[in-house]
Amino acid sequence: MTAEPVKVLEVRGLTKEFPGVKALQGVDFDVVEGEVHCLLGPNGSGKSTLIKCVSGAYEPSGGEILFRGDPLPVGQPAATLKLGVATIYQELDLVEDLTVAASIFLAHERRRGPLLDRDHMFKESAALLARLGHEQISPRMKIGQLRPAAQQIVSIARALSHDVRLLIMDEPSAVLDEGEVDVMFDVIRRLTREGVGVVYISHRLDEIRRIGSRVTVLADGRTTASGIPATTPTNELVTLMVGRKVEQLFPERPTESGEVLLEARGLRSLPMVRGVSLEVRAGEIVGLGGLVGSGRTEVLRLIAGVDRMDDGEVAIDGQKLPPHNPRRAIDAGLGLAPEDRKSQALVLDWSLAKNVSLATLKRFGRPLLKIGEEKARTREQLQALKTVPDDPDRIVRLLSGGNQQKVVLARWLLRECRVLLLDEPTRGVDVGAKAELYKVIADLAKSGIGVLVVSSENEELLGICTRILVMREGEVVAELDAATATEEELLRHAVAPTDSSVLAEEVA
Amino acid sequence: MTAPAQTADTRTESAFVSRLKALQFQEYALVIVVIALFVVGAILKPDTFPTWANVRNMLTQASVVGVLAMGMTFVIATAGIDLSVGSMVAAAGMFAGVLIGDTGTSSLLFIVGAIAFGTLLGTVNATSIAFGRVVPFIATLAMFSIGRGIALLFNHKLPVSLLDLNGGSFGDPGTFSLLWFGTGRILGIPVSVYVFLAITIAGWMLLNRTRYGRYVVAVGGNREAARIAGVPVRRIIFSVYVLSGLLAGIATVLLCARLGSASPVSGNLYELDAIGAVVIGGTSLAGGRATIVGTFLGVLTFALIFSLMTQLDLSTEIQQVTKGAIVLGAVLLQRPEARY
Repeated sequence: MTAEPVKVLEVRGLTKEFPGVKALQGVDFDVVEGEVHCLLGPNGSGKSTLIKCVSGAYEPSGGEILFRGDPLPVGQPAATLKLGVATIYQELDLVEDLTVAASIFLAHERRRGPLLDRDHMFKESAALLARLGHEQISPRMKIGQLRPAAQQIVSIARALSHDVRLLIMDEPSAVLDEGEVDVMFDVIRRLTREGVGVVYISHRLDEIRRIGSRVTVLADGRTTASGIPATTPTNELVTLMVGRKVEQLFPERPTESGEVLLEARGLRSLPMVRGVSLEVRAGEIVGLGGLVGSGRTEVLRLIAGVDRMDDGEVAIDGQKLPPHNPRRAIDAGLGLAPEDRKSQALVLDWSLAKNVSLATLKRFGRPLLKIGEEKARTREQLQALKTVPDDPDRIVRLLSGGNQQKVVLARWLLRECRVLLLDEPTRGVDVGAKAELYKVIADLAKSGIGVLVVSSENEELLGICTRILVMREGEVVAELDAATATEEELLRHAVAPTDSSVLAEEVA
Repeated sequence: MTAPAQTADTRTESAFVSRLKALQFQEYALVIVVIALFVVGAILKPDTFPTWANVRNMLTQASVVGVLAMGMTFVIATAGIDLSVGSMVAAAGMFAGVLIGDTGTSSLLFIVGAIAFGTLLGTVNATSIAFGRVVPFIATLAMFSIGRGIALLFNHKLPVSLLDLNGGSFGDPGTFSLLWFGTGRILGIPVSVYVFLAITIAGWMLLNRTRYGRYVVAVGGNREAARIAGVPVRRIIFSVYVLSGLLAGIATVLLCARLGSASPVSGNLYELDAIGAVVIGGTSLAGGRATIVGTFLGVLTFALIFSLMTQLDLSTEIQQVTKGAIVLGAVLLQRPEARY
C-alpha cells in the first residue's frame, strides 16, 4: 500500500432504525481506491440495510457517509448514482427481453433530440464490455440469451456506464457456478486496477480470501471488526460473525445405508437432461454436483414429477410413478425443496402453520379442518428443526432464509416423506444457519430418509454427502466418494471430459 | 362467527384478544364504515332511512349481489376474475323462464333450470381458463358478451313473466314456491336474506375451515409453490369458476323471484358491484388473501351507500360515478407494496 490511499467511502457511526427495530447501531466502515472490501455478516446483521443507506435507497437515522471526503446526499438514489456509486443487487435485475445495450443504458438512454441514439449506445456498450474483457458479448443480444455470469457482467457494465467510483456488489456469486465466479473475479480485478473501490458481500468465505483486500464483519447491526485483513483465518471470521464459535460446520456423515428407495432410469428432457439414471438408498445423502446449467435442478424436478419428461421412469420402493404428476410423487413419499424458496415453495403471507401443513391437510379433518390440531402438529415439526420462531401463527415472510428453509423441510417431515430432494438448500443462508441445516439433513438421513441434494457449493457437497454424482451437459459423468474426493476432482469432472475410469453408468 | 376452541393454544393472551387480532384491519374499518353510513343516513333522512322497512329493502336488494360476491371472492382468491356474472344472471333467468314456458307452473323446474344453466356457463368459463389456458379476464369477458347475447336470443329480446307461477299476481306465495324466495318472509326477515346469510356462512367455512379453501388461497398466493406441494392447481382453478356460475344461478333465482319476471337486460353491471364489494372487503386482486367477512361488509357498504343516495334523490348516473370511484379508491388503498 502506498502512503495514505484515497478513501472513496467512509461510514462513521451509522445508525438506522425502523419502527421497533434498530437495524444498524453504529457502523464504521471505509473503502479505499482500488481495494475490494468484503462485508461479512449473518442474515439480518444489517449488511443490506448498510448498502441501502449508502446507495440512497434508505435514509439513515444517524451517523455520516462520506464519499471522497464529502457527505453523500441521503435518500437520493439517483443523485448517488450520478456521483459514481453503483449497486448490483443479489438477484439479477435485468429484463430478459431487452438487448444488452438497452439494459446497460436503461433509465439513462443516450438520445439525439427526442429519439434514442441506438448506434451510440451499441458502440459505447461494446466499449464497456471490451473494457471488462468480454467483447464476445454482443450489445445486440437479448439478456435472456446470456448465461447468468454474462448477465452479471452486463450488470457491471451498466454500473460502469455511470462512471463508477464505488461499486457495491450484493452476493453477486449467488447465481454463479465456480467457473463463472472466476470470470467475474477477473472483471473485478480489472476495475480495481483502474482505482474503483469495490464493496463485496458474500456468504462464501473462501471467496473473501480470493478476491478481498480487507474485511468488515457485521453482527446485530454493529461492526464487530472493521477493515481487518482478508487473510484473517476462516474460523476467526466465523466467530466474529456469529458472536460464538461454530464448533463444526459439517456434522458427521451418515455411514449406514439401507434398501434402495428412489430409482430413476434414463430420465430425458431435452435439451437440459440427456439420460440420467441414479438411485438413492435409505440413509444416504447423495450429492448432485456440476456447473449451474448442467441439468441438476431439472433432474430433481423430473423426479418430483413437476416437469414433463421425454423419456425415463422414476420408482419409489420399486413402484413406478406416473410421469408429470407431483401429487402421486408426494403420495409415494417424495418431497421437493426447490431452488427458490420464496417463489417456488412458500406462500410468503401465510403463517408458518399453513405453509407447513399445505401438503398434509387431509390429515387434519374432513370436511372441516381442526385448526388447533394443525397448529400443534406443525409446531412439533418446527421445534424439532429448531426453527426460530416456532410460533405457528407467525408470517413466513418475516423469517430469515435459513428458517424459511426449515419451514419447507418441516412440511415434508410432517408429510412423513421418505425421499427428500433438496435444491440448493443453503442458498442465501448465513454460516451459522448453514451448520444447523447440515445437521438437520444428516439427522434426517440417519433416521432413514434418502436425501438427494443439488448444490453449487462443492465444499458443501463434499462436507455432507455420502457420495456425489457429477453432472455435465445433462448427463451424470462421474460418481465420487464424498469422504475422499477433492474439490479439484469435482470441478475437473464438472468442466471437462475425463479419461478417469469412474464414469458412472448405473445399471440396474 | 366463532372460531373453534383452540385446544393447543398455549399463548398467554386470551382467546378473545387473539380472535380480534385475526380480524384484518380492513374488516375493523369496514364495520366502522357500515355503522357510520347508517348513522349518517339516520341523520339526513330520519323518517325514512332508519326504518325496518328500509333495512329490509336494502338487505333484499343486497342479497342478489351478495351471493355473486361470495363466488367472486373465491375466484379473486386464486388471482382470477369473473366479469361474466351479470350476463350469466340474465342468461340463466331467460333460460329457466323459457324452459317453464307460458303456462309453466313448476317453481322447482325454474329454480333447477336457472341454477343448472348458471353452472353450465360457469363450467364453460372454467374449461377455457383451466384447460384452454385462456387468461380469466379474456375468457370471462367473452362470456360477458356471450351470456348477454344468449339472454336476448332466448325470447326475442323480450322478458318472461313468472307471475303465472303464482296465479298471476304477487300475492301470498306458498312456501318454497319461486316468488317466496323473493317476497316471502320468515320472522319478518325476507327469505332471500336468509339465503344470502346461509351462503355467506357456508362460504366462510369453505374458505377458512376446509382443505379446499386452503388450496384456493394457496393457488392465488403462489401457484408454483402450491403445485410443488401437491395441490391440484388446475382442478382448483376450474372449480372456482364453476362455483361462480352456480352462485350466479342462485342469484338469478333470488332476482327473478323478487321481480316476478326474467329479463334479458337484468344483471347489468352486477359484475362491477360484486368485484367492488370483494375488493372493498380486503380480498387481494393479486390473489393469496381472501376474506368472506370483508366481502359481506363490502356488500353492506355498497347497499347502504346506494340506499342513501336513492333517498337523497341522487340520480342513477351519479350513483354509477360514485360506485366506480369507490372501487378505484379501494384498489388504490389496497396496494401496500407498490414498487414504482
